[in-house]
Amino acid sequence: MTRWRTYTDRLIVLAVILAAWQVGSFLVGPYWLSSPWAVAARFTAQILNGELIVQGGYTVEEALIGTVIGGVPAVLLPFLLRRHPVIVAILDPFMVGGYGAPKLAFAPLFILWFGIGIESKIALVASVVFFIVYFNTLAGVRALDPRLVQMAQIAGAGERHVARHIVLPAAVPHILAGFRIAVPYAIGGAVIAELISSNRGLGYLVQTGAMNFDTTSVFAAILAATLIVHGANWLLNAAERALLRWRPPPRAVLETGT
Amino acid sequence: MSDPTLLEIRNLGKRFPARHGREPSPWVIQDLSFSVGTGEFLTIIGPSGAGKSTLLNMIAQIDTASAGEIVFNGETVNSHDARMLRPGFDRRIGYVTQDDNLLPWRTTIDNVLFPIEVQGRLNDETRAQADVLVRAVGLAGFERYYPHELSGGMRKRAALIRTLAYDPPVILMDEPFAAVDAQTRTQLQADLLTLWGLGRKTIIFVTHDITEAIALGDRALVLSRQPTRIAAEHAIPIPRPRNVQDIFALEGFAAVYQRIRSDIQ
Repeated sequence: MTRWRTYTDRLIVLAVILAAWQVGSFLVGPYWLSSPWAVAARFTAQILNGELIVQGGYTVEEALIGTVIGGVPAVLLPFLLRRHPVIVAILDPFMVGGYGAPKLAFAPLFILWFGIGIESKIALVASVVFFIVYFNTLAGVRALDPRLVQMAQIAGAGERHVARHIVLPAAVPHILAGFRIAVPYAIGGAVIAELISSNRGLGYLVQTGAMNFDTTSVFAAILAATLIVHGANWLLNAAERALLRWRPPPRAVLETGT
Repeated sequence: MSDPTLLEIRNLGKRFPARHGREPSPWVIQDLSFSVGTGEFLTIIGPSGAGKSTLLNMIAQIDTASAGEIVFNGETVNSHDARMLRPGFDRRIGYVTQDDNLLPWRTTIDNVLFPIEVQGRLNDETRAQADVLVRAVGLAGFERYYPHELSGGMRKRAALIRTLAYDPPVILMDEPFAAVDAQTRTQLQADLLTLWGLGRKTIIFVTHDITEAIALGDRALVLSRQPTRIAAEHAIPIPRPRNVQDIFALEGFAAVYQRIRSDIQ
């Protein structure tokens, strides 16, 4: 009941946004702001002729590889350093610096170092994802209830058992939350790196569209990137449902759906 | 009852170390000595803040002692140095804490089997033994439930049989039934006595409830406060098996109760 109500209300919000966009487009002229109808038509055509699928595929590939390269060490590091708080403390200002530095400003450097191919995009995505996931995993490892560790040690668990059966499961919700935050940045990072220098990907479509004063094509590429983020989020929700069955259901407030 | 001495506490003391320019704390526990025999059910009664949990933590080897020693079966446990602590003393001391400390990501049966699993003793026999315990405390049918789906009393039972299932010779219990309602508590006490009757483990049971200490124990120690010392010791002359529900009516209860209460005051 409430579930369907949520969906219908979402449709109403969508209709309002589209209507406002349409009116805006009419007022300033389609040359400056393409209309939703034209974007939908262009989007469908570019899906059907495969253009968006191929270019979107490149962007997804860059974002995915970069997320793995940045995310895996970001998850492992807090676990390896769990018993060495001094090292964590030494690294902390550098990690905070790495987290705070505007990574997108590094894009030209990455292109200089790694070329205009896929490597520079992966490097940018990895550098963005790493710090977000690192700090979330670290928070998860730190939020561990020490009483559970003591219980396990008394029961005869060694260091490896504690890491595997206590620390890891307790950190999983934090790790998933980290990836949930990181994924839009990963797609966004890949698109921006393509924008700066590339001959393929959604960022390339945005760039060529803008050069040709073709706002319809720019919006179609942005729509594709947005839908990719939605899809990734949906996958993360599915992973969360599978991995966190043990958690009490959230006290039904909001549907944080797909 | 207290045949050969299994665990001996000698002149045990605890004070918390100096920190941030503060002096070390006064002695929380000082010159505390007692012993426990094999198969004995010892209860320790103390008011809140009497250092009861600190005492059990030192025996369980998750906290250091500042003075004195703990002797287990002739072996001296030196625990002045935190790095030398051996939590649970190599699986020989089980500990049922005030909080159930169930792993929220494990089902009831997987929580009960957790110690056996990390000890590498998981097989058909140990599973069958765990099943017997699950049924004995009325958790049959809830094996596949997660802790958040269980009631408080059920969680206590699961935590209790988790320790019983791996069969350590000594079990420490820190007010394990304090947070449940009176009826559930009586039921849990009866369950505990039934299970204890099967295996006759050595149990040190800490509580602030005089009735509970009398209903369960062979012997009761009364603690004083600040610093914690042994104020008195009482044998409990009520024959077993005992009916926990009617413990007040049993011969000898009133007399022991009066004496313990006057010791506490």
